[in-house]
Amino acid sequence: MRLYEFESKKIFQTNNIPIPKGEVVNSVDKIQTQTPSVVKAQIPSGGRGKAGGVLFGKDLSETKEKAKQLIGNKIKNFPVSKVLIEEHVQIEKELFMAATYDTTRKLPVVIFSTEGGVDIEELAKTHPEKIVSRSFDILKGFQEHNAREIVADAGVKGNDLLPVSSILFRLVQVFLKYDATLAEINPLGKTKDGKFIALDGHIEIDDDATYRHKDLIAELGEREEGQVKKSTEFEKKASEIDKMDHRGVAGRMIEFDGNLGLLIGGGGASLTSFDAIKKYGGKPANYCEIGGNPSVFKVKELVKLLLSKKGINKIAVIMNVVSNTRVDLVARGVVKGVIESGKKPSETITVFRIPGAWEDEGFKILKKYGVPYCDRTVSIDEAARMAVERAGK
Amino acid sequence: MSIFIKIKINEKTCKGFSECGECVKICPVNIFDKKENRIITIEVNEDECTLCNLCLDKCPVDAIEIEKLYDK
Repeated sequence: MRLYEFESKKIFQTNNIPIPKGEVVNSVDKIQTQTPSVVKAQIPSGGRGKAGGVLFGKDLSETKEKAKQLIGNKIKNFPVSKVLIEEHVQIEKELFMAATYDTTRKLPVVIFSTEGGVDIEELAKTHPEKIVSRSFDILKGFQEHNAREIVADAGVKGNDLLPVSSILFRLVQVFLKYDATLAEINPLGKTKDGKFIALDGHIEIDDDATYRHKDLIAELGEREEGQVKKSTEFEKKASEIDKMDHRGVAGRMIEFDGNLGLLIGGGGASLTSFDAIKKYGGKPANYCEIGGNPSVFKVKELVKLLLSKKGINKIAVIMNVVSNTRVDLVARGVVKGVIESGKKPSETITVFRIPGAWEDEGFKILKKYGVPYCDRTVSIDEAARMAVERAGK
Repeated sequence: MSIFIKIKINEKTCKGFSECGECVKICPVNIFDKKENRIITIEVNEDECTLCNLCLDKCPVDAIEIEKLYDK
């Protein structure tokens, strides 16, 4: 869940990270500031400056004029319903700082650079020496001295060292406290009187951790239409099925227009399977991961939901080799779901390719109901080809 | 009703819940329950039987039989 700039800044302020004075408005009439201001479109995307989403006003009239240009229009294809009006802070230097996860090392990583206000990915390519990054042990945490080391290694000295490292430390605490996948300040500006202030920044909260921050999520409110993809009724029903039982995952659904229902998953195999289905000319009706040993009931209900959609008469069940999902339990759910939908498993299930734990029991079930199944000697790609062939393009 | 697993309880030998009830306590997927003092199975949960056989191991009188209907 990506927070807007003004939402992120509210969190920064609560956690003693200095931000410019400002207010968020959804109407030009609410703007009162007389001083030179920055008018910033609130959209869930970076690169707003280059896209014309950050404008400047010298006085009230010009600020209102700039806000009028943004509210109701689109920036980077996102509708702008709110703008953040902030005091125009004169700065002499810009820095970059962020905390995120290094998915290769599977550790949180803190990134700092004295070159702020730029695209950090671009800077990493052109001047990697200007970026200092350090991963840390999530169990040991991140201490103030860790922040000072990083900031000092980047070449910050003298009177700037302590205030900058203090803000970096607080940013990492925000990252951990809010279960963020990213907490970034870019740029952190140094004002002419030597103070540091977060001029821009944003936080992304792990969707799977939002239940731990119910008060915050309630305070932030629903994402506005057009800002995020709204779930379809079909997707909502699938999500409800997933929530019926704590066991495993079976219901994170994305709906498509095709005719072949998919139950796919297993260590990235859902994407592989989906791509393979498309490669062979198949038309997926959905993307839906299953895994973690879902209950028979959940799989059954999911299959019934898939087959209840107009135009879906066939399904394909493809997973990687599984160790923590029972093949026989998935087979039971799939077969029973098809039968309770009033269809024949042998005619409806185009392929069942889940090798792994308890596959012998699973294959016995599939064999009894005449379902075409395959073991690990058949690749995901080949299983996808078989599914498309049997589903009819 | 499960089309895969049928669990039968021999009511003649089963000691009932007040004297035993081990199957009710041990089953990880709540297939067994009590009705007054009798042990019964919850049919909708039979689908979830993991074939762990803990009920068979715990039953002191071998009153439980698990039948795999797909083996027929």
